Amino acid sequence: MACKVGIPRALLYYRFSRLWPVFFEKIGYEVKISDETNKATIDRGAASVVDEVCLPVKIFFGHLDWLSDCAVDYLFVPRIVSIEKKAYICPKVMGLPDMAAAAKKDYPPLISPLINNIGGEKDEEYIRELSPYFSCGKKRLKQAWLEAKKEQTRYDHTISKELWIKEGLKDNDSEVLNVLVLSHCYVAHDRYLNMNLLEKLNEARCRVILPENISDEFLEREVRGLKKRPFWTYGKQLLGSAFWFSRMPGRKGAIILTTFGCGIDSFIGNMAERHFKKAGIPYLIITLDEHTGQAGLETRVEAFLDMLRWRRKHYENNFPPYGEYLDTATRDAGIHRAYSCCTSYDK
Amino acid sequence: MLEYIGLTVVVPPMTSKRTIVLGTQYAPEFACLPLKINIGNFIEAKEHGADTFLMAGGVGPCRFGLYGQLEAEILGELGIDYDALIIEPPDKGIWQFVRRVRKITGSASWLRVLQGIHLGYRKACCIDSLERVVESVRPRERAEGTADRIFKQALSTIDRANNNTELEEAAGLARQKLQHIPQNEDMDVLKIGLVGEIYTLLEPFASGDVERKLGRMGAHVVRSIYLSDWVNGHLLGGFFRRKGQEEYKNYAKPYLNHFVGGHGIESIGAGVFFANNGFDGIIHIAPLTCMPEIVAHCIFPKVSEDLDIPVMTIYLDEQAGEEGLNTRLEAFVDLLARKREARETYRAI
Ligand code: SF4
Ligand code: SF4
Repeated sequence: MACKVGIPRALLYYRFSRLWPVFFEKIGYEVKISDETNKATIDRGAASVVDEVCLPVKIFFGHLDWLSDCAVDYLFVPRIVSIEKKAYICPKVMGLPDMAAAAKKDYPPLISPLINNIGGEKDEEYIRELSPYFSCGKKRLKQAWLEAKKEQTRYDHTISKELWIKEGLKDNDSEVLNVLVLSHCYVAHDRYLNMNLLEKLNEARCRVILPENISDEFLEREVRGLKKRPFWTYGKQLLGSAFWFSRMPGRKGAIILTTFGCGIDSFIGNMAERHFKKAGIPYLIITLDEHTGQAGLETRVEAFLDMLRWRRKHYENNFPPYGEYLDTATRDAGIHRAYSCCTSYDK
Repeated sequence: MLEYIGLTVVVPPMTSKRTIVLGTQYAPEFACLPLKINIGNFIEAKEHGADTFLMAGGVGPCRFGLYGQLEAEILGELGIDYDALIIEPPDKGIWQFVRRVRKITGSASWLRVLQGIHLGYRKACCIDSLERVVESVRPRERAEGTADRIFKQALSTIDRANNNTELEEAAGLARQKLQHIPQNEDMDVLKIGLVGEIYTLLEPFASGDVERKLGRMGAHVVRSIYLSDWVNGHLLGGFFRRKGQEEYKNYAKPYLNHFVGGHGIESIGAGVFFANNGFDGIIHIAPLTCMPEIVAHCIFPKVSEDLDIPVMTIYLDEQAGEEGLNTRLEAFVDLLARKREARETYRAI
C-alpha cells in the first residue's frame, strides 16, 4: 500500500503549491493536502501552540492538527531556512519542525528536509536532504525532484503574468483602479484568513496586484537603493513592490495586509508605510487577527476605494496629474505596460 | 574603549521610564522592545549632544539586523540628523572589525586601536566575572543590597581604568569586597537559570530587574549570556577562544535542531544545560513579539517535561506591570521550593 503523506495548506505551501505534491506523487506516495482554512482550523491551531505566535503559524498548526486525524503516515513539515539566495525566511518558519515536535499532541512522523538556499539553489543538496526519508533510490528521487521543479516553474510563470482580474473586467475600463496588495502569499491566498479580500476588490472593479506578480529582477533592483538590503524574502518582496508600484504611472492605492503578530511586517510594513507617505500614495493598513470582523473590514475597504475614486475624479477635473497626456485608459493600463517597458528603466 | 582611541563618547543616560516612553512614541507599535528602547536612547543621547551613533548591526534572520535602517528613517523624520556608524558583525573575523573601528576613529594608530579593543574586551570580562560573584552572594547576604552597591561602584572604577594594571586592581579590589560581605553560609538557596533574548538579559531595566528580584527572594541566578560573550561572539568574530555560547548551542539538540536567529537556540541549549546540572528551575525572558524566543517558548514545554524542570516564560513589554511580575516570580520561586522539599523528603525515605 502506498504511503500517505499529509501536506498542510498553510504558510509556504502557497508558494510551492505544485512542487511538493508533484514530488510526492512521482515517488509513489499518496498526497493529502488539508482543506482550506476555516474557523475550526484557527481554533485547533490556537489550542496547539502558545498564544504569542503569529496568526499564520497558528493556522499552520491547525492544519497539522487536522491532518493528524486523517490517518496519514507522515506529515510534511520542511525546515525552510531560505528559499532564495541571500535572503532568509522568517525565524518562526525555520523552527516549525521543532515546534511541531514539541507540540502537545503526538503527530505522525515528520518529513522535514532542510531547505536552505542561502548560498544558491543546488539540486544535489535537495536530494541529499531528502534521501534519508525515502527508501527509493537516489536516481528516482532526482527524477521526481526535477519533474516537480519543472512543474512548479511552469506554474510560477503563469501566476507572475496573471493579475487578479475578473473575467469581463476590461483593460481599458476607465473606472478600474489599480490596487497593490502588500502581503505574504499565505495571507493573500488564504481566503478565509483575508475574508476573500482579493475577490471583493475585483468585484469592486479593482485590478489587484500582488508582490508575486512582479518579477524578481525588478524587486531586486528596487531594493538595491536601500542602505541595507532587507534579508528576508518577504521583506524584500514587499518593499520592492512598494517602490516599484510608486513609480508606475496612473492613480492608484495600496493596501498593506498584515497579520497580527508578524514580526517581519512590524518592520517592513512600517517602512512601506513611510515610503507611501512620502510618495503621496494613499494606503490602507489592515491587520488581520482572530477576531477581525467581516463587516468592519468591508466598510474600511469600501471607504478606501471611494476615496481613491474621488481623488481620481477630483484631480482629473481640476488639474492634470502627471501623465495626463495619456488618455485615461492607456494611463491606467500603465501597470500592464510596465511589464514590457520597465525592463529599460535604469537605476 | 573608544575613549582610549581618542573620541568623546556620550553614553546615553541609563535607560529609564522616559526612554521607553520616547521610544514607544516613535517606534512601530509591534516592533520589539529593544528597538523602542534603542530609539529612546538615541533621542536622549542627542539631547546630550551626541552627533554620531554607534550601532551594532547584523544580517538576519532576526529583526535586529534592520534596526539601523529603520532607526535612521525614524530619527530622520524627527529631524534628528545623525551620522550612523553601523558596526556589522564581521563575517570575516576580527580584522574587519578592527578596520571598521579604525575608520570611525580616523587618525589613531593601528596599535592603539588594537590595544583599545583588547582593553574593552578585558573590561567586559572583568565585569562579567564580578557579576557572577554578585549573583551567588546576593541571595545569601545579610544586609540586602550590599553586593549591588559594591558592584555599582566597581563598574565606575572599571570604566575609568586606562590600562590593564589599573583594571586588574579595580576588579581585584571589588572582588575582595564582595567576598567579605557577611553571608548566611548555611542557607539553602535555589538555583535558577535565566535564559532568553540577549538584550533583556543584559539590560536590567528592560527585564524589570528580574535577576535582582530573584536574588532577593533567595535564589542563585545564573544567566545564559554575559556581556563578554556577546562582544566576543558578535563583534570580534570569536577571536578570543573561550567556552560558553558554542557549548550551549550543542545542548539544544534534539529539541531545536537549527538556528532560528537571535538567541533562540542558545536559550534552549542553556535550558537543557541548566536542567542537567541540577538547577531547580528556568526562567525564560524575552521581549514581546520576539520571533526567535517565541520559537523557544513553543519548545520549552517539551524540555520541561522530558527533563523534569519547571520553566516559566516571561514576555516583557513597555507596559509590563511591576506587580504582576513580582507575583509571578514569587509564585515560581514558591513552586521550586516546594518541589525541592518534596524531592528531599522522598530521598530521606
Ligand atoms: S513572516 Fe510573519 S506571518 Fe509569516 S511566519 Fe513569520 S512572523 Fe509569521
Ligand atoms: S531577538 Fe527578538 S528582540 Fe531581538 S531583534 Fe530579534 S525579534 Fe527583536
